[in-house]
Amino acid sequence: MNLSRREFVAYTAAIGLPANVRPPAARHGCVILPVRGQCSLPESATGYARALADVNASLLVIPAVLEIPQNLQALIAQRLQTRGTVLVESGAGFSAGTAFNRHRDSLREVIDVAVGAPVNLWRGAAGVPYVDYTWPHAATIRDFSQAVAVPAQSGDVIANAAGLPVALRRRIGSGTLIFLGSPLGPALWAGDAEARRWVLAVARASAPPPAGAR
Amino acid sequence: MKKSIGDNMIPKDWDLARGLDLIKQAGYDGVEFWLGDMPWFQLTTTDADVRELRRKVANAGLVVSNVSTGLHWASPLSARDPKVRAQASHIVERQIETATLLGADAILVVAGLVTAEVPYNEVYQRCVDALRPLGESAARAGVKIGCENCNAEQRFLMGPREFAEFLNDINSPAVGIHLDVGNIHETGFAEQWIEIHGPRITRIHLKDTLKHRGRCGDQSVYTNLFLGDNNWPAIRAALTKVGYDGWLIAEMEARYRYAPDQQFYDTAQAMDRLIASRF
Repeated sequence: MNLSRREFVAYTAAIGLPANVRPPAARHGCVILPVRGQCSLPESATGYARALADVNASLLVIPAVLEIPQNLQALIAQRLQTRGTVLVESGAGFSAGTAFNRHRDSLREVIDVAVGAPVNLWRGAAGVPYVDYTWPHAATIRDFSQAVAVPAQSGDVIANAAGLPVALRRRIGSGTLIFLGSPLGPALWAGDAEARRWVLAVARASAPPPAGAR
Repeated sequence: MKKSIGDNMIPKDWDLARGLDLIKQAGYDGVEFWLGDMPWFQLTTTDADVRELRRKVANAGLVVSNVSTGLHWASPLSARDPKVRAQASHIVERQIETATLLGADAILVVAGLVTAEVPYNEVYQRCVDALRPLGESAARAGVKIGCENCNAEQRFLMGPREFAEFLNDINSPAVGIHLDVGNIHETGFAEQWIEIHGPRITRIHLKDTLKHRGRCGDQSVYTNLFLGDNNWPAIRAALTKVGYDGWLIAEMEARYRYAPDQQFYDTAQAMDRLIASRF
């Protein structure tokens, strides 16, 4: 991964890792960055940290985020420029009003992703509205009740739930940006094996960390 | 053992003072306060008003056995929405605070709610994660959290060993089980739950159960003591075996249609027979 120890410490200090999240970046390539005060589901951060603890890949995960701070833009861009993968997970499914508007605006400004208002996937659902992923492999994973829709835009839709596009993959330079409108981290945290296989496949599809990365 | 009954059993058109007098006259030692059920004990009730409640209870010659709540059915600790979850924790914290103010050392919590939407694995993990810090708060206050076995209603922790594993995972001496001997229905035997949980039992709810009804339809599965299918001699023997000498709290679902005060007397006398092992 293209992040020196000094940079890593600076970023984690600025962003704030919860005490129960082991920072796997210290040994491997994956970085889990729950944004201080803007990670709505701490269990999501824990889920990613557990699932990716021993994975060696250039993968940056920003779990259950509400408002992405502007100062993360440089880190995201740097990761994408060096063939890395950035996975941004929306944590705004249960938000409304101003809080959701801030989420939507920050996504547009920091990662140029447009999102629609949160949708209750269970309203009118005939069965369990599973999230069906099509990339990097087909996977069917439990929904998280409320999802942020991803309208048509640059990139490929990689997951649908109840007929709604809820995840996006976009190539940016030599890197890959993944946006999840339906949180996956809680399923990882709850021990969902299919969710774990999916995120490990994403990590495998990511570039290995550059030589010398910690 | 001491006898208690919920303040939510007091007829709706009675005030608290009249209800407490009835509870005392019927022979109970204490009263269980249900946060959120009755107008005198809400989340918005101030500390000063809670102290006033304690004074009224003492004036009636009673004590508060514990603080329960049904608020977690609408705001469970297992909710996916972080705001609902925060409210659920707030409810528990307020229960702990009010228990202290009322001179009680136990609260009842309905820990989690499995639904079609929120699956078992999530509910389990979320409840464990929520109850660990709440257990620390309770320990600091000298209060025990009793997670109630709501079995079929919760679709959660249906068996006694599963419940024990849950408490092991929480791993807090301040978190135990508030055992309801009626809630087990047709899924097991209350006396076995007592044997398995023994010293972890914080309080016991008493009611009888009509196993053939199940928890469905419009007929209550619950009934008054000795009218249902619970094996009361076995339950009493199990209480002796594990050395339980704490509060027994009557919790009736179906109410007398006429002379509602009579239910207090009848239940108290049945509890006396249970305590005395006179069957």
